[in-house]
Parts: sequence; C-alpha cells; structure tokens
Amino acid sequence: MGGYSRFSELRFSRRSFLKASAAATAGVLLGGYVTRDSSARLFEPVNAQEAESGTKLIKTICIFCAVGCGVKARVENGVLTGLEPWDENPINGGRMCCKGASIPSSVVNDRRLKSPMIKEGGKWRKVSWDGALTAIAKKMKDIREKYGPDAVFFAGSAHVTNEAAYLQRKFMAFWGSNNIDHQARICHSTTVAGLGNTWGYGAQTNNFNDMRHARCILFLSNPAEAHPVSFRHIYAAKRRGAILITADPRYSRTAAQSDLWLPMRSGTDIPLILGMANWILTNNWHDEEFINQRTNGFKYVKKVVEQYPPETAAEITGVSAEKIKEAARLMAQNQPSTIQYAMGATQHEVGTNNIRSFAILQLLLGNAGQVGGGVNAFRGHDNVQGATDLAVLANTLPSYYGLSDGAWKHWSKVWGVDYNWMVSRFASKDFMNKKGFTMSRWRDGVLAELELGQPSPIKMAFLWGHSTPSQAGMAIVKKAYETLEMLVIVDPYVENAAALADKEDGIVLLPASTTWESDGTVTASPRQVQWRNKVLDPLYDSKPDVIILLELAEKLAEVDDPGWKDFGKNYSKIPEDIYDKEIRVGARAIGMRQSTWRLKRQQEYDFAFDTETLRATGGPVHGEYWGLPWPCWNDEHPGTPILYRNDVPVADGGHDFRARWGTEAPDGTSLLSAIGGHPELNPDGTPGPGWKLDLTTEYRRLIAANKVPYGRGRARFWAWNLPDPVPVHREPLWTPRPDLAGKYPAYEDKVYGVHFRVKTKARSIQEAFINTRLYEKYPLIWTSGRQVEHQGGGSMTRSNPILSELQPEMYVEIHPRDAHDRGIRDGDMVWVSSPRGTEYGLTIAKAYVKARVTRGIRQGTVFMPFHWGGVFQGESYVRRYPKDTAPLVVGESANIIAPPGWDATTQMQTTKSGMCEVSKERPAE
Amino acid sequence: MVTMKFLPDMYVNRCIACKGCEAACKTQNKTPENIRRIRVVTFNKGEPNETNIPMPCLHCTDPPCLHVCPVNVIYKREDGVVLLNKEGCIGCGYCLFACPFGAPQFEQLGAFGTKGKMDKCTFCVEPYEQRDNQGKLIKREPKPRCSLFCAAETLLAGDVKAISEKMRQRQGSTIFRSGGAAKTFLTF
Ligand code: SF4
Ligand code: SF4
Ligand code: SF4
Repeated sequence: MGGYSRFSELRFSRRSFLKASAAATAGVLLGGYVTRDSSARLFEPVNAQEAESGTKLIKTICIFCAVGCGVKARVENGVLTGLEPWDENPINGGRMCCKGASIPSSVVNDRRLKSPMIKEGGKWRKVSWDGALTAIAKKMKDIREKYGPDAVFFAGSAHVTNEAAYLQRKFMAFWGSNNIDHQARICHSTTVAGLGNTWGYGAQTNNFNDMRHARCILFLSNPAEAHPVSFRHIYAAKRRGAILITADPRYSRTAAQSDLWLPMRSGTDIPLILGMANWILTNNWHDEEFINQRTNGFKYVKKVVEQYPPETAAEITGVSAEKIKEAARLMAQNQPSTIQYAMGATQHEVGTNNIRSFAILQLLLGNAGQVGGGVNAFRGHDNVQGATDLAVLANTLPSYYGLSDGAWKHWSKVWGVDYNWMVSRFASKDFMNKKGFTMSRWRDGVLAELELGQPSPIKMAFLWGHSTPSQAGMAIVKKAYETLEMLVIVDPYVENAAALADKEDGIVLLPASTTWESDGTVTASPRQVQWRNKVLDPLYDSKPDVIILLELAEKLAEVDDPGWKDFGKNYSKIPEDIYDKEIRVGARAIGMRQSTWRLKRQQEYDFAFDTETLRATGGPVHGEYWGLPWPCWNDEHPGTPILYRNDVPVADGGHDFRARWGTEAPDGTSLLSAIGGHPELNPDGTPGPGWKLDLTTEYRRLIAANKVPYGRGRARFWAWNLPDPVPVHREPLWTPRPDLAGKYPAYEDKVYGVHFRVKTKARSIQEAFINTRLYEKYPLIWTSGRQVEHQGGGSMTRSNPILSELQPEMYVEIHPRDAHDRGIRDGDMVWVSSPRGTEYGLTIAKAYVKARVTRGIRQGTVFMPFHWGGVFQGESYVRRYPKDTAPLVVGESANIIAPPGWDATTQMQTTKSGMCEVSKERPAE
Repeated sequence: MVTMKFLPDMYVNRCIACKGCEAACKTQNKTPENIRRIRVVTFNKGEPNETNIPMPCLHCTDPPCLHVCPVNVIYKREDGVVLLNKEGCIGCGYCLFACPFGAPQFEQLGAFGTKGKMDKCTFCVEPYEQRDNQGKLIKREPKPRCSLFCAAETLLAGDVKAISEKMRQRQGSTIFRSGGAAKTFLTF
C-alpha cells in the first residue's frame, strides 16, 4: 500500500521479525515498525499477529456510540483477548475512546445475566428459555383477553442491530398495538421533527469526516466527551484554521478546546440563535440567492428575527451581546460553517423549535447542502439512527411512513400478510392509526391517574435494551414498574429496573447477547450503514435479539394467533434476509436500499476509501461512499453522504430539499426549487407518490434524468403545521426568570390536549411553579449530561471493571459561589432536590451525591451525569439484584430531578433545563 | 538506530481526556485495578486554560529509576524502551522516589494494601509474565496501544525521528493553511 513507501525498505516481514525476536534476549529487540507519513499513525496496524496460529482479527464496529468507530477484535482460539486498531476504517482510522477501547471487558464479563430468570415471591429463580418464553407468551395472551392489545407497552432499543430494531417494530405490529417506543424519543425525536419539517429528512445532514472542511463550527453539545472520536476530524478542521465556538452552560471539554465560549442559560437556544440571525440580517451577511432559489417563507422568519436583536438575546440567554455578535460574524465570515448539537438542544419542551432554529440559521447563511456546512446532529447510541429509521417508535412504521392506512398497506405487502388480518390484530381500526404511548409518558399509561387516550391502562411492559436512568422522573417510573402485572427485561446485563422495582412478583429477565455475538448492520449517526461482524458465539446461555424475537413469535403462534407463523417466514439466512428481503424492499421513503453484500464488500475494500470525502477510488467499490448513506437508491448508487446537495447529479449522491408538503404553501408561494424543481414522482416520471409505494422499482429512469424521486423542493423557513411556525423563545416550565415568562410563556395546555395517549400540560405547570414561588425554594438551574466513560443507563459500562475504575463516581457539578453560599465544600455529600413527583402525591425528588465544586459551570447552574443507578433517594437497592449481577459501581439517577415538560410535537422529555436546590441537610418533605 | 519515545501534541491535537489511552492499555496489558501505566492529568479544570496531558512512562534516555534500583532489575533496551525484570523486583519503591513523572506503579496486595512489585509502561513490547503457557518467551513489536487508539491523535509514539517528522508536518500544515499567520497555534 502506497502510504508506507518511504520507509518500506526498513520493513521486516513478519517471519523475519519473528526470527529476530526469537533470537533477541530480553535486552535487545529490533523493531519491525515503519512510519506512515500520510496519517497521524506512526506504526502500521498490528496485522502481523494474525499469522500466529489460532488468532483471528475480526473487523467489527463499536457497540456504544453513533460515531460508528471500527475496530479489529482479536480472537485467539475462540476467546476474545483484545483489540487492534482498524486503521483503514475511514470514520475513525483505528481510533477509539475509553468505551470502545475496553469493549472486551464489556462483552466478556462475569456480571452478565447468565440465564433467564423470574422473580416470584420476592426470590429470583432460574428458568429455561422455553419456560420463560412460554410464560411471557401466555401472559400476553391473558392481557389481550382481559384488557386488549394496548395494555402492553414495548420499550425497544437503539443498542440492537438494524435487523433487531426492525423486528421489534414488526413484532408490535403483529401484536396489534402502537405502544412501542425507544431511546430516540428521549434523545433525538425533536431532531426528526425539527429538521424533517424544515427540509424533508430528520437526520444529520453531513458527517463526521465532512466537518474537516468546515471553517467555523458552532457546538451546542460536548462532543469531546460524548463523541470523542469525532475530534479527530474536528482537529483536522482546526489545523486548517477553523474557528470553534461552544455554546454551553458548562465550560465543557469541548469549550476548553474552543476559541469562543458562550455560557448560555439552559433552555435559551432559540434566542441565542435568533440573536445571531438578527445580527446576520442587520449586516446583510445572509445568502440572498440561496434564500430566493431554494427556500420558502423568508418573510415570516425575518419578522420574528427582528424581535431578537443581540441585546434582547443577551438579556434572555445571559451571554453578552458582544459575544453573540462575534459568534454571528465568525459563522458568517468563515464559510462553510456548520452547527453541531446533541441532547443539550433536543431535550426541551421547545426541542423541535430549537432544532428548527439551527436549520434556519444555516438556511440564512446558505450553509445547507454544502460540503463543510449543514446541521450535524450527533446521535447517541450506536444504532439510534437505524432504530429511528426502522421506527421502534409510537408514531410511525419503518422508514417514516406514518400510521395511515396507506402505510399499513405498504408494510403488510412487504411482510406478505393480509391487511385485513393486520386490522384484526388491533383493538379497533382507530387504534391502528393512532399514535401510541411514548418512552417519556408510558408510566402515566400504567398509573392511569390522568386522562388516557385508550380504554385500558398498561398492564405489561417490555424493556428490551432500554435503560431506566435515562427516563425523567424516576420516582414515577419506579411506581409504574411496581404497578405492572408483568415486566419483561431483555438485556445482556440486569437492567436497573429489575432491582429498582420493589416488587415481589412478575419480573422476567432474558439474557440477550451483546451485538458482538451476532452479525448485523448498524447505522452510524451520519446515516452510514456498516456491517458489524460477529466476534464470538453467544456467551452465557444468551441469545441474539433477533433470535429471541423470532422464538417469541413462534410461541405466540401457539398461544395467541396462528398468524404469527408469518412473522419470520421470509428469512432463511439471518440477518441478511431481514435486511435484503424486507428492509431494503420496504424502506423506500428514505431510500434505505443498501444491499448487505455491498456493505460487506466495502469492509473488504476499506483501504480504497478517502478520509476527506469518504469516497472510494478504484476497485469494485469505485465511486461508492462509505456506509452507502441513505438515500441510496439502488445497487449502483453510491449513497448520499451530504444531504441536499443539488450541485452534483443524483447518480453521484446529489439530490435536493424534499418536496414533502405539495407544490404550493398555504400563502400561494412555490414549494418547488427554482433550480429544476419538480414534485415527487412515480417511477415512470409522472408526478405522484409512486416512488415510495412501488416495491419493485430501482429508480433507474428517474436517476438517468437527474430527477429526485421525492422531488426537488424548497426548505421551509415557515412550517405552518407546527405550533410555532417560526421558532420563538419560550421560557422553560420551571424557570429562574418569572419576569420573562409573561412575555415568553410556555405553550398553552390546549396545544397538547391528549398528546400521544395521555393528557399533557405546559402553561398551567409553568404558572403553578411561578405562583407558588418555587423558583425561590429551588433557585438553581439543573441540567444533565454525559460522562465519557459511561453510556446510557450504564448497566453495561458500570459493570465494566476498566470503565468503573476510570469513572467510579456520580456527582453534581456546582459553582464555588453557589456551593460556598450553602456551606458546601468540594467532595461533600449533598442532597439535590426538586418538586418533581409531588404532582403524583409522591415526596419531592431527591438525590444524594458528591459535590464537585468547579468554576467550569455557569454560576447558578448545576450539572449531573445521568448514567447512574443502584441508589434511590439516598438508599441503595443493590440487594434486590439477582446474586452477583449488580454493577460494580452505583449511584443516584440524575433524571429523578427533571421537570415535567414535554415537547409539543414529539413528546420529548425535558431533561436539560430544570430547577433544583442543593443542600447539605436532607431536605424536609 | 531507533529510539522509542512518547510525545503528546500540545498544540492543535490537544488531549480531550477521553481516556481511550488508559482503557486501551488496560485492555491490552490486563493490568490489575490501581495499576495505571498511563494516566491523563488535567490542569486548571474549568478555567480558560484547561489542559489535559496523557502521562505514561517517558522511557528516559538516562532513567533515574534505573540508577536507583538497589537490585538492578531495571534495564534499558537498545531501542530505548525501559523495562524491568519483575521476578527480581523487591517492591521497595525507590524507583518511584526517583522518577520525575510518577510512572512506576505498585499493585496493592494483601490485607493492608502493602506494596507489590513495580509495574510500568512497557511500550507494549511484552507482558511481564514473559512466558506463554508453553513456556515460550513472549515478544511483541513496540506498538503502544494507547497511542494507536488515541481518539484525538494527541499521543504520538515511536521513533523520535518519526515523531519529529509528524510534528513538523502538523505545524507546517497549520502555517501553510493560515497563510503564515500563526493565529491558530495557541488559542488562548
Ligand atoms: S463510544 Fe463512540 S467514540 Fe467511543 S469508540 Fe465507540 S463509537 Fe467511537
Ligand atoms: S519510570 Fe520514570 S524515570 Fe523510569 S524511564 Fe519511566 S519516566 Fe523515566
Ligand atoms: S486517548 Fe488521546 S485524547 Fe484521549 S485521553 Fe488519551 S491522550 Fe487524551
């Protein structure tokens, strides 16, 4: 390979190296190393060891976050013994953070659940797989007969493969309920709604590698800690002179590497961005040509933006007007510039609007659909993009088809089942089209103390690869677990719920394999699909998720309905058939049409891909983009690494804003691009929705004519279908600024009504908070976030001896001024409390944690990492875990403190802007 | 002649404290709890000049640890890697006195956590238990996993010449891209 040329004469072959080392005494060794000057790597990858007998290096993908880092697992005689860098993976070039670099200890670990278990009479009892699955199937049948299919809730997962995520959704379709949801609801659902409503698709527009080309990056999250390997590309941009700006109430590790820090108050993203937009318009830095040709509704945005001059924005956000103007100037004068964000922006009542505001800023600057530009939504779990695309969600079927009759007919056709049978599975046809309970409110469906949108409360729930600590209002979740008739937890480790619930009976645990114990595909944040090779056979009597789903369906065919026999009928080769025969055939609305053989071929020819562009040169993969990011229309299409580029042909990964709202806006203006605009098309080129309904077309005719199947439309500044067609500021429900809540109030309760399936409120909660002057009793702003060492609810990472050694602690970060005023010193144990839960007659929410006094946070704000569990309001519940399965390190769950707020569009929970008090004494009830 | 060294890039590719290096070391070398052959230290946490630096053993050219060892079990290979012969180590801890960087580690053994034998970075050339289960001597190439996995490409490791070359390239490219203005060198 070319990269080694200059020093290749120094290279020893593996054989001569072995000879040399065998001859070497302890003191002398000649190295077989070379330098490689085209990358930062100073050694060639350690492939040589593969030659040793019985050792295999298996290319696979990290199981933790959505950066999608590749790695080679070293397997010696069937035992996973270590890792070697997968140097040619163009996303990470072999690099990994501590979670990735310690995967062997997460996979092979004595604390894993070693057999199915059932809790009865307060005791954990081992059961056989057959016994456990039969018990579950029978209980499901029983629930259906007594309460109807909607009495079951299914929490699926973003930590499973695409195939398993897809089967989870299909499972609940066959069961006959839309009560299925997963992490994406409480992670990036507002991205899907915010970006989707602006330009058609709700995903990261560009990719990690593309950030190398940005000349200015505005961070609204903390990727140095949450997505560490992305920094490989961010630093490449920086080396080329890119300016980094971080907006965060914390002086995060990302802020520490940035040129400018905007210490904003939590929950004020919109005024910050609108203040920047105002300064951009004032100085005429906006891209008029782009706005005229490719967007719709500029005049509405202009009117709103005029109300947020930098001084007003400064008053709301707490960031000085000078800094806001400087940030605007840097973004405008260093183009292409990009915006990066994650949970800090999505997890608010106004999450959808937050994300819309980012898209709007990029549209104003003409940064959308550009190399080095776009909106880089960094997703969390390894496969959360895939699980979202494949709709482990209460509001849609796979590939964002929604829940309309048309959507059900489309998928029934793909599944090869009769649509009428499908209808018969549901309580009634209404419930088929009605959104289900979500991850953020399903507990209300169990407790049934509020008005519900279905006749029966939830009586049985699955937690299939979903954690408890990530859910807001933990005390209420706990009560819900205890109220259920049966709770089924499917996870490689014993998830918190099993022990948190103080419950004598009705908990079933199934040991799922980790995703290194089966083959499958996984979609990284930038829509790149990678093939994740199986590294090991399933350990400890565990089974891969796909297999458990198929076996449970077989059981249900016996006890529930013979129609379940069709559930797995299309698959003889797993997982390839699931992807190629169903996902690839049906997921047309996003063009998720990569074939698995192409993904495997990419892995083989990884070296042909360029880090800068992700495109392959030469070989059978010539012209393809890494991961064939969707839309990838057919087997010749290279994938679309950057969304909405209209300057390259469709055949080369170009396309346009999606013409999703017809051809004309309600005010009569055009929704079709001024550059070759056209509506969505049938495969034969006539206007119509055939592109997403035809199950056989390969789009060749459209692509040859450089037409985009879903049309060439305009991005919408003005989203008339949303509660706020243009984002405006709304104070958080629990606000430290009651003076601002009058001018910028929360949504009225009626905006929600019965939202998804439960009565939801906003304005009245805000008013109650202000009227009872709770902002005086709970004066500190509360926010939460990530620790680099842990992931999600932490049941895996906190059981990993390496990661729990690196980060053994739960804590609260507090500014010295706030701490010292309360007599708190660094390292003291303190109580963090909030009024959450009192609405259910529970005591106030509290958490007993260590104080970490630091200037790295805005005065008046405290921060807690959310990965922890095992302690509830000062009391350990480790004793309730089955023997030897509790994590190595435990702590309080931060999200118990979160306020009762939900996004008006997606029901995202509010876990980034609450209020609390911190005290040394246990707060009085 | 080659000389093995570590160098953390303190200019653009600054450490983000992701601890990939620490975890990679533990995964590769299976070191027990409390043994931290490499450790990321942070200065000025939360202040405008917050800085992280990964600190392994620096494989000194003239290693103080080697000079003070009373039983002479610390030795230096021709390629510069400083190692020790664990069997002969008496666990006195004198090397820790001498080392300017806190690199020597001691496993906590026994009920009172008394000192075990010294343990330190080996540049990944060998596990200290130098024989495999067939009694063969285990030797590996000097490819430190901390550096190979480093997320931010901060930690460079290898022959000093190669490191120097790499840093020249990095800084050269910075100067080249910014048209000669050294603005992006130090951001604070
Ligand atoms: S957790 Fe994310 S950044 Fe870390 S190694 Fe895995 S994919 Fe890469
Ligand atoms: S242990 Fe300390 S003194 Fe000895 S070589 Fe390493 S850094 Fe130098
Ligand atoms: S892997 Fe690199 S960036 Fe991460 S902590 Fe270690 S030196 Fe720092």
